[in-house]
Amino acid sequence: MTDATHPIAARGSLLVLDPRTKARKAAETRFRLYGAAAIAISILALVVLLTSVLGNGLGAFRQTFVTLPITLTEKTLDKSGTRDPEVMKKVTTIGYSKLIDTALTEALAAKGLSTEGLSKKELSGLLSQEAAATLRNQVLADPTLVGQTVEVKLLANGRVDGFFKGRVTLESAARDSNISPAQLELAQKMREAGLIGLGFNMAFLTGADASELRPEAAGLGVAILGSAYMMLIVLVLSLPIGVATSIYLEEMAPKNRWTDLIEVNIANLAAVPSIVYGILALALFINFMGLPQSAPIVGGLVLTLMTLPTIIIATRAALKAVPPSIRDAALGVGASRNQAIFHHVLPLAMPGILTGTILGLARALGESAPLLLIGMVAFVKDFPSAPPEGLMQPATALPVQVYQWTQRSDPAFVERASGAIIVLMVFLLIMNAVAIILRRRFERRW
Amino acid sequence: MNDMRILERDVETQTAKMTARGVQVYYGDNHALKDVDIDILQNTVTAFIGPSGCGKSTFLRCLNRMNDTVASARVLGQILLEGEDIYDKRVDPVTLRARVGMVFQKPNPFPKSIYDNVAYGPKIHGLTRSKADLDEVVETALKKAALWNEVKDRLSAPGTGLSGGQQQRLCIARAIATSPEVLLMDEPCSALDPIATAQVEELIDELRSQFSVVIVTHSMQQAARVSQRTAFFHLGNLVEFGETGQIFTNPRDPRTESYITGRIG
Repeated sequence: MTDATHPIAARGSLLVLDPRTKARKAAETRFRLYGAAAIAISILALVVLLTSVLGNGLGAFRQTFVTLPITLTEKTLDKSGTRDPEVMKKVTTIGYSKLIDTALTEALAAKGLSTEGLSKKELSGLLSQEAAATLRNQVLADPTLVGQTVEVKLLANGRVDGFFKGRVTLESAARDSNISPAQLELAQKMREAGLIGLGFNMAFLTGADASELRPEAAGLGVAILGSAYMMLIVLVLSLPIGVATSIYLEEMAPKNRWTDLIEVNIANLAAVPSIVYGILALALFINFMGLPQSAPIVGGLVLTLMTLPTIIIATRAALKAVPPSIRDAALGVGASRNQAIFHHVLPLAMPGILTGTILGLARALGESAPLLLIGMVAFVKDFPSAPPEGLMQPATALPVQVYQWTQRSDPAFVERASGAIIVLMVFLLIMNAVAIILRRRFERRW
Repeated sequence: MNDMRILERDVETQTAKMTARGVQVYYGDNHALKDVDIDILQNTVTAFIGPSGCGKSTFLRCLNRMNDTVASARVLGQILLEGEDIYDKRVDPVTLRARVGMVFQKPNPFPKSIYDNVAYGPKIHGLTRSKADLDEVVETALKKAALWNEVKDRLSAPGTGLSGGQQQRLCIARAIATSPEVLLMDEPCSALDPIATAQVEELIDELRSQFSVVIVTHSMQQAARVSQRTAFFHLGNLVEFGETGQIFTNPRDPRTESYITGRIG
């Protein structure tokens, strides 16, 4: 302590860490561990989510089918013999289900399977209630089938389907009024005899929704189409409006109190809960403008309103990121402001704009709350026609379809809802991949 | 260029290309440039020197109305290009900038090919009728900018892939491709190494035969090397303006003397 006046303490050896350095090092190590732990937790959450969704939902892409040779007798289906679909429409599904029942009994007898102890109703209960309609549609589409014996692939009942997927067991069937263990045992034998099989379920992606009683027939077709229509509207409206707004605000508008106000409001709009947009759409588009409920046009408009702030913010950020020297260079050689923007600034900002747009679209695709308010939660069995008329006809959307299916009591709909989530996630993944590809493509040009 | 001979360097012409009278510039409340009178002579290199923030770049940007892009800037007074007021309401800055070209401090080629960089000006002004004409304009501009031999085999390569000195010469080629009458250069060598600087300086001297060149520079040696006339700015005032030889050897104002001898700035 000879040098007591010196404010800086004497230093020790380089090889020995002083307490302060040790503490700093420990802090750094701790922080690194926190980071690693945070990432581990996120990965774990993702894995849990994916396994649960995939585990529950992959089954929806496979379906149990009963394959039967059915004799389509002219006497039942087309008494007049005209083969005119209009006339044949008089025969309801009841007529067809009788044919199916006969065919089922004959097929079981041919394979030597005993139906003892099973009532006629229990036998036909092996098949979906949708089966007769499937057959009827097939015949009406091709009346020449009448009079022939054709192999038809029909949906099995949801409980039978669940039995082969492990959802339904003999024990649970004993407590179930919809299915009996005896039916399941027969189904097992039919599978061994080749009458029942599992196959890829295209109808899940292309078919329409089905009622509570026939989960096996429920499909996502209307929802996918509805979502696609809405995305089309969102893209067509929000990209030009959003980009034009951003260019004006960023490059042309005078910087004054009004533009500041607009700016703050756009930032706030991006944070408004989406259900608020739903109420706005209900009041404005449906009540005031009189657009139809449940229609993709209204859904697309409300999602456009919701996506616009996101696109504007992303586009403005992308425009801001273009170095001012490029604008100077263009103006310096005598480009007009418009030319400077469209020849130089906008192309440079394009990757950012596209990424922002696609992320905005992805968010809109997964949005359900505003759609509930405008009636897109309705049960829609008919496909909307091609645009533009189709935009005014009722449809549903993917996230709303998920919501709707989770509301239903039959456990088979859990599988359907998870399957729909998988479809939704695949679409989101594709959109994000497109965003990345576009980004790369545009950046590589320079 | 041998800067020892600056005394012998005469200005060959007295014809004024641009005339500035009583130019005032305000950035909001800040009076950045006070009452500047300058004549830019034909076929002459005019250098603006002065410490940072003295208004020399501001004045340069008035000459082709680049200050229009600064919302808070106000320019008063009169600047004439061949007798016509460039701040007249009827003047479109776009046509003005085609006649008064500009090269910036940092090389800023467009992120496009070398060819497109040079061809951009002629294209937007519709100066050429055919692709062959345009090719010729590009070639001439690149030759004038002493870059042709280095890039003639890779005209479609990106301009941003060139070295700093080449990029700056590309920017000069881009500026002269529209055949301007006046070429403004805002510290064109500040981002370049000494060799690239020497090339650009040599180029400036050659360009003098076709254009009036106005160069802003922080380097007094550079001003002495390339210019025939020099203007010294200080705190927004034009302190002294005259022949380069006279400014550097026999300045009339004590502030000019302090600056060129290194006592201020």
